[in-house]
Amino acid sequence: MNVCSKKGLVERFDGSIGAGSVVMPFGGTYQLSPVQTMIAKLPVLKGDTDTITMMSYGYDPYLTSWSPYHGAIYAVIHSVAKIVASGGDYKKIRFTFQEYFKRLGTDKYRWGEPFTALLGAFDAQLGFGLPSIGGKDSMSGTFNDIDVPPTLVSFAVDVAHEKDVVTPDLKVDGNKLILFSVPRDEYELLDYDALMAMYDKVNAIIKTGKVGASYAIGFGGIIEAVSKMAFGNKKGVKVEDDLTIDELTAKNYGAILLSVRPEILDQFDGYKLVGTVDDSAVINYKDMALPIDEAIASWTGKLEKVYPTRSEVDESEVREDLYDAKDIYINKHKVAVPKVFIPVFPGTNCEYDTAKAFSLAGAEPVVKVFKNLSAEGIRDSVDTFVKCINDAQMIMFPGGFSAGDEPEGSAKFFATAFRNAKIKESVMQLLNERDGLMLGICNGFQALIKLGLVPYGEIKTQSDDSPTLTYNSIGRHQSKMIYNKVVSNKSPWLRLATLGGTYTIPASHGEGRFVASKEWIDKLYANGQVATVYATPDGHPTMDEDYNINGSYGAIEGILSPDGRVLGKMAHVERIGRSVAVNVVGEQDMKIFESGVSYFK
Amino acid sequence: MSNVRRVYVEKKPAYAVHAKELLADIRGYLGIKTVDDVRVLVRYDVENISDETYKKALKTVFSEPPVDDIYEEEFSYDEADTVFSVEYLPGQFDQRADSAEQCVKLLNENEEPVIRTATTYVIKGELSEEDKKAITEHCINPVDSRETGFNKPETLVQTFDEPDDVKIFDGFKDMEEAPLKELYDSLDLAMTFKDFLHIQNYYKNEENRDPSMTEIRVFDTYWSDHCRHTTFSTELKNVEFEDGFYQKPIKDTYDKYLETFDELYNGRDDKFVCLMDIALLAMKKLKKEGKLADQEESDEINACSIVVPVEIDGKTEEWLVSFKNETHNHPTEIEPFGGAATCLGGAIRDPLSGRSYVYQAMRVTGAADPTAHIKDTMPGKLPQRKIVTESAHGYSSYGNQIGLATGLVDEVYHPNYVAKRLEIGAVMGAAPRRAVKRLNSDPGDIIVLLGGRTGRDGCGGATGSSKAHTTESLDTCGAEVQKGNAPTERKLQRLFRREEVSALIKKCNDFGAGGVSVAIGELADGLQIDLDKVPKKYAGLDGTELAISESQERMAVVLDPKDVDQFMKYAEEENLEATKVAVVTEEPRLVISWRGKEVVNVSRAFLDTNGAHQENDV
Repeated sequence: MNVCSKKGLVERFDGSIGAGSVVMPFGGTYQLSPVQTMIAKLPVLKGDTDTITMMSYGYDPYLTSWSPYHGAIYAVIHSVAKIVASGGDYKKIRFTFQEYFKRLGTDKYRWGEPFTALLGAFDAQLGFGLPSIGGKDSMSGTFNDIDVPPTLVSFAVDVAHEKDVVTPDLKVDGNKLILFSVPRDEYELLDYDALMAMYDKVNAIIKTGKVGASYAIGFGGIIEAVSKMAFGNKKGVKVEDDLTIDELTAKNYGAILLSVRPEILDQFDGYKLVGTVDDSAVINYKDMALPIDEAIASWTGKLEKVYPTRSEVDESEVREDLYDAKDIYINKHKVAVPKVFIPVFPGTNCEYDTAKAFSLAGAEPVVKVFKNLSAEGIRDSVDTFVKCINDAQMIMFPGGFSAGDEPEGSAKFFATAFRNAKIKESVMQLLNERDGLMLGICNGFQALIKLGLVPYGEIKTQSDDSPTLTYNSIGRHQSKMIYNKVVSNKSPWLRLATLGGTYTIPASHGEGRFVASKEWIDKLYANGQVATVYATPDGHPTMDEDYNINGSYGAIEGILSPDGRVLGKMAHVERIGRSVAVNVVGEQDMKIFESGVSYFK
Repeated sequence: MSNVRRVYVEKKPAYAVHAKELLADIRGYLGIKTVDDVRVLVRYDVENISDETYKKALKTVFSEPPVDDIYEEEFSYDEADTVFSVEYLPGQFDQRADSAEQCVKLLNENEEPVIRTATTYVIKGELSEEDKKAITEHCINPVDSRETGFNKPETLVQTFDEPDDVKIFDGFKDMEEAPLKELYDSLDLAMTFKDFLHIQNYYKNEENRDPSMTEIRVFDTYWSDHCRHTTFSTELKNVEFEDGFYQKPIKDTYDKYLETFDELYNGRDDKFVCLMDIALLAMKKLKKEGKLADQEESDEINACSIVVPVEIDGKTEEWLVSFKNETHNHPTEIEPFGGAATCLGGAIRDPLSGRSYVYQAMRVTGAADPTAHIKDTMPGKLPQRKIVTESAHGYSSYGNQIGLATGLVDEVYHPNYVAKRLEIGAVMGAAPRRAVKRLNSDPGDIIVLLGGRTGRDGCGGATGSSKAHTTESLDTCGAEVQKGNAPTERKLQRLFRREEVSALIKKCNDFGAGGVSVAIGELADGLQIDLDKVPKKYAGLDGTELAISESQERMAVVLDPKDVDQFMKYAEEENLEATKVAVVTEEPRLVISWRGKEVVNVSRAFLDTNGAHQENDV
């Protein structure tokens, strides 16, 4: 259970906001290779940075239960190994520890647990010459006569450069899997100097740029590592026959497995050959041949009932229409630097990323917070919003959770504010008299659809049969990369995107399920108003929940107003950047912001 | 007649995801196969609203016509159905009701609606009494909610009695040990009796008066395990190692520790062997050896912080990178959603109060087998499955709302976590160094309170998690769990991310553990705090509650008097409530007044003793 898939747990958490996540929690085209280290670009407001931070953790409750001293040492070592495997330099690591023990009372044996664990951590810090500069403790882990296992979790933090990063997902056929490890002494401990020398070597190999993937060996030994590395791109691996089952399952904390180009093998020594990567989608060892899909099914099945990854969605086929527009709306109000108004409500959280995306595309973002602490604040805000809209060429509704997506339904607060008579009038004037554009992403799309701006093109109250967005069929938040296909070009927002092209875009939402009657869907397709759809990696619109993550009818992900000037879509095209989500390959730039800006030029 | 209007909203069958899930849970997880269908309705009770606004709200705020059915006052169901409704306990933060009120105000900013929500469940199928009990238990966690009937209340407007003056413990300073022990036991404090004697000694010899209830609670909060790590600071004596093969390396490490201890402290008599010292000594040694040159030195203790050169568009700038880990094991065990949400909120707060922008989080948790059968749940405990799924929901909804990328999530399984869950949040934050001032407070400086208001839900968190827990915990701890309010913390993040704002802040502290008394109390040696200025969620809070109530989404900042007006303007722009509540004074005493009377007036020196010295053998 400690090595099984927790995908249904992990994907509840937004992993991409901030447009700075260098790695997504699961790598590979199929997003099935879990990362061991979280990596992000520094959150600079202006400009771009290649400085990144890494954080990993190490902890094994079975080991600490056997010996808190050893458990603490290996917690530290494992956290370091994960950083090294991810391409970080161990010499710059800083730690922070979390201790959690049973209630101690005055029994001296009970005090022995935290005492020896802390001694272990002390030894490891001095051994590596790396300090822990923070930590928290809790000594309350007792209920009646049961105690929690002695817990010392080591968090390792490192600062690195974006080009150093290596992820676990196997990518390159023909690569060799090689293991670096240090033998344990009679007390089941590792020699720190030997370990550091090995990490220097691993670091040097990674710097050659010939390492395709890497993994710090953990709870499930080499078997766990090879499987998880292979899952992401459904690769095959031929495991060397001379390895014993014991070697394959040993909890060899500290050891690192690398996938390297065969031509560099003779430049280094001190490793053990573990296997070869191939495109067979089968893991072979001696006379055992395990198809990767079978392995994945068993790996993901264990916790499916607790953390589901699928609900019962009708997986019927969906239409594959493309709409090639004959006439796309032309703007008669040109400006050099168009202004885009971005409103911020309590709970909005994508305004930074969106404003940055518009700036980079050449627009001037105007970001205003809606103040609602008093009646006067509301009146003020309405006036400010009206003024900003009148002064802008575009309105962008950013993502988030306006008012926590309560009362029961997303973007209600957002939409309610825009129903205000004065604001409504300015919006309609922008659209009807000044050739303006509107864009809504995620919570912003929800606001657009609830206001009627898509698909109707005007603000009105939704009727019983209006298309809308509701709770994901799986009943929880979903965060992952989706394959997003552009199926219409009837919009200024899509003029630079490739019609029929499939893009890899982060999605993260709890209420993204597009629902509409068959009549409505037919009508939207007929009029070119279906902008984008959820697709498989090879570009087929799909109801498969791995890709159509919320069960949207007709796989519809984004829709347009009748003349295409208002676009609403769920996936976050603004969360892009150099070295963002490097472990899920694909074209990330749909050029929506550039398209919008170029329409005014 | 009641002025309250009642509205039920139900998702149409095709979109009733929650009802479908509950049905699957009841049939599968609870194993009650006789249930045929489940309906879930959200119930709103609404008061103080005009007809016109109410009509508008029906189809925009309370429901969405394409996916919802709406019923006014009552809805129909079959006689044979089992129907019950669940509401939050009074005083629990209800985001749904809060957002509904805010939305209605947008329809007409002059309305002051009062809204309460509940969830109504309709269970179809034949049920035994035992089945009914299992289902209601599944839907209600008594720590934060309760079952409520069909009767509409006369009014939702709550009236609060004017609280009594703060109690003074007459005769305390001269009390004999036996009655003193009795008093100690009656107060249910987290501090030890030894600490209590320490306090008596202080009032007898230094103050020469009796303490107030507020003062005792403030000491208890200030000194609780959570804030000062009693266990970790307990002196360790007579250290012995059991014989065994693996004894040698452990003993060697201990000897190395003692050697380092002598080397670094060089005979200082204020140092002694304790867990805290073992935890810190390696860092101190490495720092002395120059291996920690990048650490940011500061009196403010917000989070670990290092100085990092950052390349931005080819230019190098100095940045502070900070990180912080936090556990909320106890709150998550008893109320998984709120406990885990505030775990993350708490972890964010520290770097945030240090003016760092938190951009990434990790979550590491420990649980017993969540696939275990519900019948194997220990008495007095929530089922593991409920804990793991609801805490995941709580942590993720907080992180997702505040707009924080969660880069890594993992759960470790070990049977003994059935004793208590492990719930860790670890976060990364960063800020340009030029934007962060680390200054001392000077007399005359003003302390401004920012963010959420004070309620009763935050009383006792710091002391609660330090107490011993038994089977009764689940029923009595209600007041000790809080709900997070991510949108408010997000506003704080936006405010502090602005360099022009951050540069005005001399010093900052959050309201995590200990409320006004600790959060503001730690900002300067001498302070005059006025509790009447502290914004409240509702009337009826007394001085003690105002002094110790924690909050996830509040901060106190120290400002130069000349910067106060500018700062208040920035806060207003970010839609944040900001209030001047305290002044830094010359004399090193913590003085807190309420309704014009001093309820706390104690010396800084005594407060900083952190209670009595504790010892133990190992």
